[in-house]
Amino acid sequence: MQGRVVSREMTMLIALGAIWIGVAVQQPAFLSPRNLSLLMIELSVTAILALGMLLVLLPGQIDLSAGSGVGLTGAVAAVLTYWAGVPAPIALLAAVIGAVLVWAAMGSLIVVQRVPAFIITLGGLLVFKGLHWLTIRNQTVPIVEGGGTNAYSLLTTYYLLPLAGYVLAAIVVIAMVAGTLRARARRRNYGLEADDRETTFLKLFALAQLLLLVVLVTNQYRGVPLAALILGGVALGIHILTMHTPFGRYLYAIGGNEEAARLSGVPIRASVIGAFAIMGLVVALTGFMQTAYSGASTTTVGSLMELDAIAACVIGGVSLRGGRGTVLGVLFGSLIMASLLNGMTLMAVSPEIKFIARGLVLAFAVWLDVRLSATE
Amino acid sequence: MSGDALLATHGVVKRFGGVIALKGVSFDLRPGEIHALCGENGAGKSTLINLLGGVYPHGSYEGEIFVDGKPARFATPRDAEHAGIAVIHQELALFADMSVAENLLLGRLPRRLGVINWDEVHARAREILGACGVELDPETLVGDLGVASRQLVEIARAVAKSPEVLVLDEPTAALASQEIERLLALVRDLRSRGVACIYISHKLDEVFSIADRITVLRDGESIGTLSAAQTNPAEVIRLMVGRTIEDLYPRRKSTPGRPLLEIEALSVAERPGVPPFLRDLSLAVRAGEVLGIGGLMGAGRSELLMHLFGVWGHRMTGRVLLNGAPMPTPTPADALQSGLALVTEDRKRFGLVMEHGVTFNLSLSSLQRLVRHLLLQQDAEIARARTFVKSLNIKTHRLDSPVRTLSGGNQQKVVIGRSLMTEPSVLLLDEPTRGIDVGAKLEVYELVNRLTDEGKGIVLVSSELSELLGLSDRIVMLCEGRVGGEFSRSEATQEKLLAAAMGRIGEAA
Repeated sequence: MQGRVVSREMTMLIALGAIWIGVAVQQPAFLSPRNLSLLMIELSVTAILALGMLLVLLPGQIDLSAGSGVGLTGAVAAVLTYWAGVPAPIALLAAVIGAVLVWAAMGSLIVVQRVPAFIITLGGLLVFKGLHWLTIRNQTVPIVEGGGTNAYSLLTTYYLLPLAGYVLAAIVVIAMVAGTLRARARRRNYGLEADDRETTFLKLFALAQLLLLVVLVTNQYRGVPLAALILGGVALGIHILTMHTPFGRYLYAIGGNEEAARLSGVPIRASVIGAFAIMGLVVALTGFMQTAYSGASTTTVGSLMELDAIAACVIGGVSLRGGRGTVLGVLFGSLIMASLLNGMTLMAVSPEIKFIARGLVLAFAVWLDVRLSATE
Repeated sequence: MSGDALLATHGVVKRFGGVIALKGVSFDLRPGEIHALCGENGAGKSTLINLLGGVYPHGSYEGEIFVDGKPARFATPRDAEHAGIAVIHQELALFADMSVAENLLLGRLPRRLGVINWDEVHARAREILGACGVELDPETLVGDLGVASRQLVEIARAVAKSPEVLVLDEPTAALASQEIERLLALVRDLRSRGVACIYISHKLDEVFSIADRITVLRDGESIGTLSAAQTNPAEVIRLMVGRTIEDLYPRRKSTPGRPLLEIEALSVAERPGVPPFLRDLSLAVRAGEVLGIGGLMGAGRSELLMHLFGVWGHRMTGRVLLNGAPMPTPTPADALQSGLALVTEDRKRFGLVMEHGVTFNLSLSSLQRLVRHLLLQQDAEIARARTFVKSLNIKTHRLDSPVRTLSGGNQQKVVIGRSLMTEPSVLLLDEPTRGIDVGAKLEVYELVNRLTDEGKGIVLVSSELSELLGLSDRIVMLCEGRVGGEFSRSEATQEKLLAAAMGRIGEAA
């Protein structure tokens, strides 16, 4: 068990290192503060969607419509703000509510009507894509009047002031230390295994260093991007949901053994519908960020993002059969996917090759997961 | 090696990581004998037969396996099969979506011009089933069969390969008395045809009625091989557990209180529109009482429990009262909420989330009680889990060890623990000691006593008559969905129970 986890983590680390070194050798600009800042925004977009996907994969479901949904929600918000003149915050809120309702409806079709998620969301993929294109009438719809800013555009263009970045990093480190110490004391108290003092210190120290490095690098460009803070918030929220609420337990139990979960009194329908509703929220958020990052809603926004999200999850150790997966793993998997996509763009890889590469990565990640799971 | 052994192991050692499952086991099987392997769960029985069946390839263990006196090196289960060893594992390996006939003949379906000849398939399947005395329609889907029938199909499939050695791992764990008799007769018949058999069972009466010799394993060592004629169950138990069990069924006297669960004229169909399967049942369980429910396979024992818990059937008539309040068909969550808990028969399929930890599984049904400010109070959760691990004597390395790594008895205690954590007033136990070792059984029996002392009502479904007789205050035998007879503890005998189960009440004196 221990060995398996280590080998999975090691494989991921080596893959990440290989990508970074490979791209940096070809394109030194990869490691520039500007590109690393952009990578962080791209990571935020990919990772937020992947974190939503985690909630859907845990109970053994899947969402293939997420990418189209990203395009559609971004488009609805763009059309409301740019063409209809609705204030950006209201436009965003309207799109969020719509997405939550639609995803909850898909969830009910899956658990109440018993249509497989694969089919429902495959249908969703096509329907939402069609609606997306209808919404923007196949045009390019900007999200803000030329040169201006609004709540929508700031999602990916706002950066914290340098000082604010440091203050935030300090607050996060303090919170982490406090949290870790409490958790450690608790585990000890209950006779569970806990890291010794040195390991705990080293882990925290490494994390603090990493955080400081991030702030230093991004401050060399424009500061910590708002998108990264949104990712932090989503990641924390989903971590709490999965690890510290009955709802999260239910998702793991349903994915682990649905029959046993049912006989244990787990509300299966409500849990799966809930997971899809949150997925709707996440899709809308990703839709806004991805559209804002593109600067406008176009027909290609969101295309195939569901596959990146699924690949990120699998790379991060989420089981496609359900029941296994963590927020930290998904973040790491997303970093690998985002680095790969960013690197390919930077190296001016042609779209044809990009498709092939994404496909191969997805297939390879699942193969590796199967292999690693089989050796336990 | 002894020249007359058909199959033998010599000093076999098998390690799993740091755990030693077999510490030098020597064992031999003579031609035409039935040799029972006895031992508690975790004693190494399954590991031993997995070695003999080629599941663990040569090289992954130390020591030697001999077939007909020659060293054998199986790389795959197929090699063992070629050597004439057919193993029927505890986990049945049948395809639920295929017919009985397909399962029996899979891999060698008769063809004509490259196309499967279905008439031939069914005819041959009928022959195989007939030779084993199994009455089943070969065209039935295996998925539609009960556990007992599946077991018989599995045995028929192995026998169809005409093996020299048949290995049966707990073949009767899911069977009722009548079917057990049929199976034992089948094994004896095979012996008379020269097939040697390794027979693993927790049920000693079975072992003594069938085995020629008995080898006892304990903690991965062979403690001794005895001739069945020259020993007795008490001695075998003593060797298995390393201590004497004075009384296997320590039911204490109890004074039943007010009725907790009342069932009045209940008729339940599998689904709307079909005739009822459970017919006109009236039962009651009082506080501090154990109501035993017996019956043959298919009599409706499990269905009754599952219906009460809201996971089976469509209620046509009758009503159910829990603590005096009417309970319409509930969801499992409702049932748990109102104080009714179910421990299922099939803990792997319906009971446990195998990859998750002991704590996770223990608290799954009572998470809502552990919530404060929307968050799970994990301190409280762990503390509670710890209490249960201790009071139920669940042997686990850690509280978060995956339950997959626990032995059968300890897994069962986790399932029971989860039900108890919901603080039920009535506990429905469906075959609570199936496939668990003697020591764990005893703990379950003690627990039943403790729970009735606390004033809980218990409904115990068991296919072991001795267990029903030993544990119940009253026994109801079901027969084809009806009450075939009801007996108090003092008036019940094996004969009377069997007669009631077979609908021949009054025939047995």
